[in-house]
Amino acid sequence: MNILEQISSAVEKGKIQDVETLTQQALDEGTDPKTILDKGLLEGILAIGEKWKRNEVFIPEVLIAAKGMSTGAKILEDKLLEAGVEPKGTVVIGTVKGDLHDIGKNLVTMMVKGAGFNVIDIGVDKPASEFVKAAKENNAKVILVSALLTTTMPYIKNIVEEFEKEGIRDAYTIMAGGAPVTAEYVAECGGDFYTKDAVEAADKVKAIYNS
Amino acid sequence: MTGRERIINIHNNIKTDKIPWVPFAGVHAGKLIGYNATEVLQDADKLYEALMEAHKLYQPDGLPAIFDLQVEAEILGCELAWADQSPPSVKTHPLADTNEILCDCKLPKATDGRIPLITNVMKRLKESIGYETALYGLICGPFTLASHLRGNNIFMDMIMDEEYVKSLMEFCTKVSLKMVDYYVDAGMDVIAVVDPLVSQISPEHYKTLCDEAFSTVFEYTRSKGALSSFFVCGNATRQLEVMCESKPDGISIDENVDIVAAKELTDKHNVVIGGNIPLTTLMLHGTQQDNMKYVVDLIDNISHNNLIIAPGCDMPYNVPFENTVGVQQAIRETDAVRAMVANYEKVDEDIEVDLPDYENLEKPFIETFTLDSESCAACTYMWDAVKKAKEEYGDKIDIIEYKYTEKENIARCVKMGVKNLPSIYVNGKLKWASIIPSKDEFYSTIDNHL
Repeated sequence: MNILEQISSAVEKGKIQDVETLTQQALDEGTDPKTILDKGLLEGILAIGEKWKRNEVFIPEVLIAAKGMSTGAKILEDKLLEAGVEPKGTVVIGTVKGDLHDIGKNLVTMMVKGAGFNVIDIGVDKPASEFVKAAKENNAKVILVSALLTTTMPYIKNIVEEFEKEGIRDAYTIMAGGAPVTAEYVAECGGDFYTKDAVEAADKVKAIYNS
Repeated sequence: MTGRERIINIHNNIKTDKIPWVPFAGVHAGKLIGYNATEVLQDADKLYEALMEAHKLYQPDGLPAIFDLQVEAEILGCELAWADQSPPSVKTHPLADTNEILCDCKLPKATDGRIPLITNVMKRLKESIGYETALYGLICGPFTLASHLRGNNIFMDMIMDEEYVKSLMEFCTKVSLKMVDYYVDAGMDVIAVVDPLVSQISPEHYKTLCDEAFSTVFEYTRSKGALSSFFVCGNATRQLEVMCESKPDGISIDENVDIVAAKELTDKHNVVIGGNIPLTTLMLHGTQQDNMKYVVDLIDNISHNNLIIAPGCDMPYNVPFENTVGVQQAIRETDAVRAMVANYEKVDEDIEVDLPDYENLEKPFIETFTLDSESCAACTYMWDAVKKAKEEYGDKIDIIEYKYTEKENIARCVKMGVKNLPSIYVNGKLKWASIIPSKDEFYSTIDNHL
């Protein structure tokens, strides 16, 4: 197993100390930081994401893997900046007004970050105006909306309408998800895409940026 | 056989005359009489009134006295965010930034928080309906309670600090046992341990960190002479086996689990399974027809021993009342509803239905479309209201009931565009769908047509 595979495996298994040591070792050996990021850390997080999607691992394993990834990414941060490596794009994520659930949102954040994007997490219980503000300020292209209650999911529509009201709806792709949400419902609210889990969300964001 | 007997018998492997039906009408019960979620969860009289209405309309075999997983958390110092159409959410987690465990002196007392309100309602329910209907006391499961106290850190703790999680689970188990005491003493037949987060951890983590807590609560509940049920939400397919090994008397699942496959497993453990009518796509957003069809299909595809039919979880506040009535009717009168659904799907084009000349009626014509006023409680109440009006107005009005059990009436429903049953039409116009009008409102409408 080469060092990149070892990093990937350590991320997947949630061995934070090993991720730290191996990432530093790879850098010291002269491995390109972008390669460490893509072939080591991100490979690991994508692998755990796939297992999660197949119901083979659960939230604790995913969260610990994500912590491992961010520990490794922190070590690479300065080197990546020096090398002029930039995120593939920026997305805004938040949970709708009246809804305090954040696990789902956090998992999507990790997977999308793992796919190489800059994620602006505006938090939970957020009004439509804050989604718009964050989108404008950060030059985002994709808006990710989380709603976990049947009583809060209608707010997805308010967010879409806020972007329309501002006359900027066409500049953004609006995606939504959460336990009670369905593809039909997102379409009814005027959103663009529904994804059923964090891995699908990350895949969709990649597809949007690649299109 | 009373509903209570059905629930008790099904858990004791005794054959029941019908499949037991337990609608989880939590805050939704408030909707039935115009109270919001906060009102029914904070006011004993309103909660009691709402549950009595749910009992009257939905004719359940079992009924939860309250569906709110935040009762214990609130007492233990979590701040709650209240909402009009859903139970409150936990806003703050007192143990989020500390590795301490709460002192046993904080364990809920019978006089703490909303416990007096809840036990008051439980005792009144026991007195009024509790001898025919099984009453469910719902407690927050120890793992979900641990997450309320600790926040999302609990998930990382499971890997990085197992000992802390064990200690926290021990404390939360003690809380659960206290709640079991209060609720069983208030007359509850079934203690439902509701732990939605169990579906989010691996079976291995469940075994090492949760099994002891749940086993203890179920064993204790049995020792108090009550039945125990384990409610979970989300895709708990992988966790079902270990949940069964904790030995609850029953398990209740939502639509994320294939109930037919799950039942094969729960049957092996002789555990009753309950579920799993989809909450959002079907109960909230589906039609009455969709709901009836789903339940008939479920009944036709699953063995009936060890089975309770119930919504997947707490019913959304705005579930249309007629959808729940349709579910109940499909469970109670399965053959008739199966025929209704089949007839509706292929409405006989040959059946000629002549609609009255509504524009030129001599007197107001009140048409009542029902599933069947003899077997559907809500239909009975609506048809009774119409018959009372007839007694009052005599020859000044005409009335008729169209039962959905007859093909001609289904064809009439289709021709008139009747979507929900029961419904009242006056002179060919829909006036009340599902809602039984008050006497004043009803008579005023009739007067306007005289």
